[in-house]
Amino acid sequence: MELEGSQNLVATPDAVWVALFDRDILEQAIPGCESLTQNSETSFSAVVKLKIGPVSARFKGDVELSDIVPGHSCTLSGKGSGGIAGFAKGAARVTLTPEGGITVLDYKADVAVGGKLAALGNRLIKSTAQKLTSEFFTNFKTALTGETEEPAA
Amino acid sequence: MTSEKAHIGQSYRRESALRHLSGRGQFVTDLALPRMLHAAFVRSPMARGKIVELGVDDAAGSPGVVRVFTAETLNGKCEPWIGTLDHFANMQSSTQNMLADGEVLWVGHPVVMIVAHSRAEAEDACELVMMDIEDDMAVVDGNAALMADSPLASSGISSNMCFQTVLETPDLESAFAQAAHVVEGNFNFGRHTAVTLEPRAIIADFDRSTGQLNVHHGTQTPYQFQDVYARHFGLSEGKVRVIAPDVGGSFGMKLHVYNEEMATVAASLTIGRPVRFVADRLESFVSDIHARDHRVSARMALDADGTIVAMDVDDMTQIGAFSTYPRTSVAEGNQVIRLMGAPYRMPDYRGRLSVVFQNKVQTSQYRAVGHPIACAVTEALVEYAAEKLELDPFEIRQRNLIADDAYPHTSATGYQFEKLSHQASLEKLRALMRYDTLRDEQATLRKQGVYRGIGIATFVEITNPGATFYGVGGARISAQDGAVVRLTPAGDVHCAISVTEQGQGTETIIAQVVADQLGVTPDKVKVVTGDTDTTPSGGATWACRGAGIGGETALRAGRKLQAQILTLAGEILQADPTHLKLANGAVVDATTGNERITLAEIGRIATYRPDTLPNGCDNSLTAAQHFAPSGYPFDFTNGVQASYVEVDIETGITRLLKHWVVEDCGRIINPLLVDEQIRGGVVQGLGPAFFEECLYDDIGQMTNATLAEYLVPMAGEMPDIEIAHIETPTLDTILGAKGVGEAGTAAAGAAAMNAVNDALRPLGARISQTPMTPLRILKALGHV
Repeated sequence: MELEGSQNLVATPDAVWVALFDRDILEQAIPGCESLTQNSETSFSAVVKLKIGPVSARFKGDVELSDIVPGHSCTLSGKGSGGIAGFAKGAARVTLTPEGGITVLDYKADVAVGGKLAALGNRLIKSTAQKLTSEFFTNFKTALTGETEEPAA
Repeated sequence: MTSEKAHIGQSYRRESALRHLSGRGQFVTDLALPRMLHAAFVRSPMARGKIVELGVDDAAGSPGVVRVFTAETLNGKCEPWIGTLDHFANMQSSTQNMLADGEVLWVGHPVVMIVAHSRAEAEDACELVMMDIEDDMAVVDGNAALMADSPLASSGISSNMCFQTVLETPDLESAFAQAAHVVEGNFNFGRHTAVTLEPRAIIADFDRSTGQLNVHHGTQTPYQFQDVYARHFGLSEGKVRVIAPDVGGSFGMKLHVYNEEMATVAASLTIGRPVRFVADRLESFVSDIHARDHRVSARMALDADGTIVAMDVDDMTQIGAFSTYPRTSVAEGNQVIRLMGAPYRMPDYRGRLSVVFQNKVQTSQYRAVGHPIACAVTEALVEYAAEKLELDPFEIRQRNLIADDAYPHTSATGYQFEKLSHQASLEKLRALMRYDTLRDEQATLRKQGVYRGIGIATFVEITNPGATFYGVGGARISAQDGAVVRLTPAGDVHCAISVTEQGQGTETIIAQVVADQLGVTPDKVKVVTGDTDTTPSGGATWACRGAGIGGETALRAGRKLQAQILTLAGEILQADPTHLKLANGAVVDATTGNERITLAEIGRIATYRPDTLPNGCDNSLTAAQHFAPSGYPFDFTNGVQASYVEVDIETGITRLLKHWVVEDCGRIINPLLVDEQIRGGVVQGLGPAFFEECLYDDIGQMTNATLAEYLVPMAGEMPDIEIAHIETPTLDTILGAKGVGEAGTAAAGAAAMNAVNDALRPLGARISQTPMTPLRILKALGHV
């Protein structure tokens, strides 16, 4: 399953870049995040609780950042296991491009899901993935710009 | 002497229908036993992998949980099983047991079993199981599975080839070399599954104090499971009782051995309490057997005037990680290559079969095993040939069908046909569907840009198999059936029989058959099925055996009791029994029909006043009879179907306008139920032709395992189905019934595919893959 998209962020590429590696900001941004532990400069462990269609599950997973071009691009790869709900694994390439006063964040992800999650069908999984991605960026923007009019999701 | 055939041949409604409609159905799911526990399974989310770690402590401490089982703690209780049979030479399959041990082999493979006070508590505990599986490369595609560098679908096999066979007549090559015309095609038949209204359900109830195991099991073959449970759990057969109460559809899906049912029995044996497992719809999709999944390349040779001289067929079928037990997963492919070209005189043939392992749900026998594949391929090639030779579809079939007076006939694949009626059926179909008028209508509408198509498909169906089907291969699967018929003290009739009822009306037709032997009405005959403790042993219901073998068994048992009653009546009346017969609930004078003594009076005397009978007179009013088919190894039925469709060439959506079936199932016992069997069968053939498919992604994940995504045919999409009959009874039995359960499914898809291609023909497009989804039709049209 491929997901791609683009987000305009009112911040410099450097500020966005730092936020992408900031444990506290990520914890606020990831939908359903119950805990996020930074294991090294480039790796995190997370526990995330999600409800997808009729299946709700607590995913435990690791995220690794690689192919890092500082201030410009990196690849996030991860694998999460949701017990009987199944698993998700994938990688996303994130690229930051300055444009006027803002930063355009482009992402392109290839995600595979398995078990009950896959069985629910691509339509539901893809629309849920899109919804989660958009929630992530909404939260990320809020955390990045310090705006707090929307309480953490 | 034959008695009056007053009830055989009449329409009677299904005995159980009113009870079900009144909410009085008694399915396994309705049963609640004291101290009953509920099972749920943790299943593999991966198609292939190694179990690295399994943590069940948290689950074991979860509220309501009584026991948590893994392979380590459960599998030792069960003798493992292997889905091979000796008559399929050199076939292989890995040893199977209840829970995945070390490796997982398909998405849905049960790994942990949790037994709790409720299903909800068991499911909650499933979420607490820590399961770490290391992903391995899954075998997903059958062609790739046969490459030298492919991983193996399981560790217990030497290659991914489960079974291979070739049938070939000596002159095949020269037939093709000398042929005036050769037509060919590549076909792809999707995987689908049964989707029974009632999912698989079982309650195993082991009583430690008596050593008795009772299993309430929604199955079509209780006796087979009695044998399986006794042997695999080391119990004596007499201590195993299998009861199949109301069963909400089975279609072949409920006669295979499944991990979950075996585990449920093992859990009850261990805990000593009733344990229930009922599959939910999600787990049905990833654990009920799937069906079909064939890729066929085929060619047909014809001489200049359109006479079929040979077919050459290569079938590759993909069966999952194991061959199913105890019937194997190769029987379908075996029937595919043997049924090719069956309605035609075709002298030469080659059929090659490759049965291939992969990491998906197992496939196995499902309604009309192999028939839809063989029929679709044969009939598509006949259609291609008709197009090439510019012959009408009726004309090319008339030229090639085995003549109605040319029996017995042996097919190029070795099947022996006693007597079929292809020519009469084809002629009847032509009139029934008003073929010429329909062609005119089609031509007129085409000028208006409406693309309608007419497709026909002739078929032969295998029924009533003898022991050559499974028994000779070492399977403990009975080809015979048994019945016990008795006259009650009040003069009613009771029949306990080994064939079973899953909604098709078996009990109703058995009552009709018995009623005629004993001169009573069917409502006086109580039929009991589906309990190994109360009925004699037999093969039960599969391969259309209910009417042909079950009906004959009932008939012979009824006649045996008839003779006993007449003998006893002769003693009571001091009359010659040969001058008496049974009619209208009484013993009557054979010549005048005058009543001599009622059955109620016979019952009374034999039961309460045997002292008044002459000395030495046998007062038995119970007769037991078993029957196994002899003579031909199988029966064959035949027929022809036609489909009328309209394809929207902009959207690719097909509307099914009408469907016709002319069927010859031999003696018709109940016209209403025969027609309903055919209609249901047609719908189950049209489903996979247009809608139903188990979709998998490239890592072996099934991606549409819900009824929101997996499309089953609905009444609104189905056409009216018009049915007519030819009756050619088999002479192998007294009753002459051949069976009808699978005929509709056998050829419906083939007729529909020919109809769609007839609609697409003016646009130069052709489809040869099922289901024929709108997208695939648009692709065939070159629109996408």
